[in-house]
Amino acid sequence: MLHDLCGRTHQVSANEDIIGEGERPENVHLVMEGFACRYKLLSDGKRQIMALLVPGDFCDLHIAILGEMDHSIGTGWGCTCVKIPRATINDLTTNHPRIARALWWATLTDEGTLREWLVNMGQRRADKQMAHLFCELLVRLQTVGCADEDSFEFPISQSDLADTLGVTPVHVNRVLQELRAQNLIVWRSKRLQILNVERLKAFCDFNPNYLHLTRRANGDSSE
Amino acid sequence: MPLYFIDTDDDVLTVYDDQGQDLPGPKVARDMAHLVLPDMARQKLPDSDRRTFKASVRDESGTVLYVATLTLVGEWKVEPPAS
Repeated sequence: MLHDLCGRTHQVSANEDIIGEGERPENVHLVMEGFACRYKLLSDGKRQIMALLVPGDFCDLHIAILGEMDHSIGTGWGCTCVKIPRATINDLTTNHPRIARALWWATLTDEGTLREWLVNMGQRRADKQMAHLFCELLVRLQTVGCADEDSFEFPISQSDLADTLGVTPVHVNRVLQELRAQNLIVWRSKRLQILNVERLKAFCDFNPNYLHLTRRANGDSSE
Repeated sequence: MPLYFIDTDDDVLTVYDDQGQDLPGPKVARDMAHLVLPDMARQKLPDSDRRTFKASVRDESGTVLYVATLTLVGEWKVEPPAS
């Protein structure tokens, strides 16, 4: 059944919103290829990106429960999504406990990631914050088979990265050159390569525990 | 929109802007130069008692249009504590 759901993909072109703030969509979107992001626009035109969504991530699972979107989801880079009707999500969560549990897990992981981003933004220096994001994306993309051992497609712009980290684009350019000068990363032709994964992880104190990639050992595997 | 380049220096690392920014005019470029200074200071401080952060705006022809400088001057009013 899940396979059937994922068969009806559609392409979202670059700079197109998947859902806008205030909308009440009838479908839940699942990213199949590429990147999407959660963002908010302020009245002065500033933008904050609060999450990067990679293949396998739900854009708006909670909309099956909540009334309307409190933020927008877009892709500055183009991505492929599948639309799952709200009624299907309701059916899955009601009648299929293992799937309901998986969706719950996905939501909790999103929250864990958001907490880590908050820590990054509040307490880590911009160079470590950026390094931490790169480590996170490597691990998340490896989990879904979209990264090799030390590199992944990273089509976003420096300006997008600035809005993700909450610093100016000029500073992003500066930090990138710092990381490059330390032989930590190379970002060229929309591909990010980490030159020494363990060294980059140590540099930013990366601990992937918040991604909850391992299941509880004691159980509930019967579900 | 014209392209402006914002070069930065924090006394340790000089970064030559190789990307450039599409901006409506030199005043917005000046604002960008101002805005990067607190980002740079946040990343570097605390450090020594003297540091200068600099951001300069260059146009496409290479002419430097504007230079913004943020200077930290710290001074002990007692005998400096042994490190």
